[in-house]
Amino acid sequence: MGKRVDPNLMSKLESYGVGDWNACYHCGNCTAMCPLTEQGSLFPRKGIRTAQMGLTDKLMSSPEPWLCYYCGECSETCPRDANPGEMMMAIRRFLTSLYDWTGIAGKLYRSKAMHIIMVMVLFFGVLGAFFAFAKIPVLSDPANVELNSFAPVPIIQLVDEIMLGILSFFLITNMINMFHKVILKDKSVKIPISLYFKEVWAAIWNFFTQWRFRKCDHKFYWFRHLFLMLSYVGMFILIIFFMDWFQTDKIHPITHPQRWLGYLITIGLLLGTISFMYGRARKKLEIFKFSHHSDWIWLVLLFLIALTGILVHIFRLAGMAHLTYYMYALHLAVEVPMVVTFVAFSKWSHLAYRPLALFFANLKKSALALQESRS
Amino acid sequence: MEEPRVGIYVCWCGTNIAKMVDVEAVSEEIGKIPNVVVARNYKYMCSDPGQDLIINDIKENNLNRVVVAACSPRMHELTFRKALENAGLNPYLFEMANIREQVAWVHADKEVATVKAKALISAAINRVLYHEPLDTRAVDVNPATLVIGGGMAGLSAALEIADSGKKVFLVERTERLGGNLVHVDQTFPYLHSGQGILSPQVRRAVNHDNIGLFLETEIDDIFGYVGNFEARLKDKKGKEIELKMGNIIVATGLKTFDPSVIPEYNYGKLPNVITSVEFEQMLKAGNIMTREGKEPKNIALIHCVGSRHEDYHEYCSRTCCVTALKYANQIRSAIPGANIFDLYTDMRAFGKGCEEFYAQTSRSKNTLFLMFAKGDLPKVSKAPVGEDIDMLITMNEMLSGDEIEVPADLVILMVGVEAREDAKDVAHHVGVSMCGNEFFIEKHPKLDPVATTTDGVYVVGSCVGPKDIPDTVSQAKAAAARVLATIAKGAVVVELTTAVVNEDICCGCQTCIKVCPYTAVSFDEEKGVSTVNEILCKGCGTCGSACPTGAIRSRHFTDQQILSQIEGLMAMEV
Repeated sequence: MGKRVDPNLMSKLESYGVGDWNACYHCGNCTAMCPLTEQGSLFPRKGIRTAQMGLTDKLMSSPEPWLCYYCGECSETCPRDANPGEMMMAIRRFLTSLYDWTGIAGKLYRSKAMHIIMVMVLFFGVLGAFFAFAKIPVLSDPANVELNSFAPVPIIQLVDEIMLGILSFFLITNMINMFHKVILKDKSVKIPISLYFKEVWAAIWNFFTQWRFRKCDHKFYWFRHLFLMLSYVGMFILIIFFMDWFQTDKIHPITHPQRWLGYLITIGLLLGTISFMYGRARKKLEIFKFSHHSDWIWLVLLFLIALTGILVHIFRLAGMAHLTYYMYALHLAVEVPMVVTFVAFSKWSHLAYRPLALFFANLKKSALALQESRS
Repeated sequence: MEEPRVGIYVCWCGTNIAKMVDVEAVSEEIGKIPNVVVARNYKYMCSDPGQDLIINDIKENNLNRVVVAACSPRMHELTFRKALENAGLNPYLFEMANIREQVAWVHADKEVATVKAKALISAAINRVLYHEPLDTRAVDVNPATLVIGGGMAGLSAALEIADSGKKVFLVERTERLGGNLVHVDQTFPYLHSGQGILSPQVRRAVNHDNIGLFLETEIDDIFGYVGNFEARLKDKKGKEIELKMGNIIVATGLKTFDPSVIPEYNYGKLPNVITSVEFEQMLKAGNIMTREGKEPKNIALIHCVGSRHEDYHEYCSRTCCVTALKYANQIRSAIPGANIFDLYTDMRAFGKGCEEFYAQTSRSKNTLFLMFAKGDLPKVSKAPVGEDIDMLITMNEMLSGDEIEVPADLVILMVGVEAREDAKDVAHHVGVSMCGNEFFIEKHPKLDPVATTTDGVYVVGSCVGPKDIPDTVSQAKAAAARVLATIAKGAVVVELTTAVVNEDICCGCQTCIKVCPYTAVSFDEEKGVSTVNEILCKGCGTCGSACPTGAIRSRHFTDQQILSQIEGLMAMEV
């Protein structure tokens, strides 16, 4: 079954991203230009050929699509304007929907309406929940907005942890699915347990630094992405692990880390998302010429999360209680749709799949080398 | 023999010869050889003043032999022979020594080159002493033409000649005209109707006043020579027809390869594996169906069937690649939802409009191009029970390096072409040679692609090699033009540097007849000796060297001339 050609895959992939699957005539320029490809892990041409022939199983078992960081050099070089960069992105979206055993990811990617509806449902759902359960406190001290009476940390934390638990469940099971498809089903290589410990460090290093991305020509791409990612990771850690330290009614002096850390992270998020949105709107760079609806919804929601967050803080400092509460509700109303739709079922998951793919690719490479040296 | 008075001329050829051969020293020394009356050297002997030198010397010094030491005789032998003629001397009393291609252009040492040049000239002088004056003959040309084969090539040639007012005999073995084109539904790359191209030609040929049509007729025998051929034909009832003509155009076409011999494709065992010819029939009927009467969902086209393979034919059959693309287009129109798989080794689409046709076909989203390596054939087999498809094709796909399985309900084999079995008979009748693949051989692949080494016989169309319609028609019209030119001249000039049989010495062993490649020697039963047809003989000398009694003399290449030439060569110390 893994060898059966299916010419219908190409038309299926069209809803996952733009790219002229027919145009590629396998000159190999893209693979020659790619700074990240290497012998044993060749891309993008090989993956495009696999997709052209519709060998879905083979596509699912390859880590290669995730080794690409979408610098766009291949698309710049393609003599047929087939857009290999965007085709790789489409394959990644497709793989995301395949690792996801619920089928939700596929539906979200294939239908812009579906994704927007889900976001809207969650948005109004959260607002509705606030409307139903949150009580706007009567101010005892006018200078001090009682955010923690309106939205008590323990409750928020509980909701966060429940969401984290559920979404982690989906994401982790998807990661196990990926492990199964990429490693376990590939009988051609035997991977000794010791290699798992040896190769995990490169994956962890790249998770935090995306160091491989530096091999691509435009180092600014690496920098901008790392900047945004670290800001996000910072915010994630604060919210999940230090919620009660971060969300206080007491206003600390500006020298307190709760204040300047918050500011730094917010500025990072705002600048990052604005830079990406500007690039996508302008469409000048190769990597921004084609934006899938998941690209835009992701950026807009992230931007709004940062924006509403800083507005909560500004209104709080200004002592404008009601505005603070409403903005807080809005803040959660944009945050929940983002995590629910993106963590396990869309773009957020690349945070897990990319380092995993690197891990798997290195495992296979080392195992093969070991096999060869022994034979 | 009168006293020989030889004039020798050493050419500088600008610096071509002069830079490696000391031409002045050579002409001086050569001048001392007995019988040499005049010895000159000049910059460009082939020029007008150069030729005038020869002409004036012949007149003023009573020269009766001329030697020019210059380039290859293939360049200027005719030029200098003409000069002799203009001076009133028989042109065959001339010899050329090649001191350019054979000396100046192949040596680097001036001393060695000069000595060698002297040796060659000395040889030429020795030879020319024994040259005899020879004549040419003019032979009348019968204005009728025989065209063998009524396909596109034969029809085009016949119509071209008939339209200019000359008589044509068109002989066709089957009961109808059109040849292989009759089976074609649409032609590439513009998808014109095959019938649309063929019918007008056939209609015109049938109704033409100048074309004598002989259907269901075969050639029994042909004999004669250019301008004067005789053909004996036999129709299907056994009636004999005798015709006389001046030129013959062979347009017998070719046939397709039978893929039953290729085990990988299971043609003949799996009912839904068909050839391109069989598919054309489906297209003509307007009905693409599997053997079970269902519309196929997955259709595979396999290229290079019987072609480009060391076990079958090594050559490329030229038209199949674009034909496969044509099928992809036609299938797409007939069955819009079908998946088309094109299994190819290379894509050859060189003709006018063909690359564009290829680009447009490959842009369509339902044709998947899969590449296999020459010699590593895909394997067609029945699909396992329970599957929704009829057959599975397993192949090693080159662009991915993977082994893949291709589903197929219908497999179309793009069969190659090959020479017809009766090609040998035709070749024998008209005296045309065949190549290793049994296609007919033209006189020169670049300079003379429609003539043959037998004067008056032309080969056109696919019997010479696989080709498409434009090239077939071009060749047919080219041969027609050559025939009309010959007819217009009215006579054919024949050189007589040919073989002559001394009937007193001939013992009648007929060895010469067996070895002659031009069927120019025949046996005179009455006298019991061989006689050479001066017109057919090309003077190759094979009979002369084969003759055990030395009865055959090759004019202009007699034993005396050649032995003397060798002596002249040896006389010079090299």
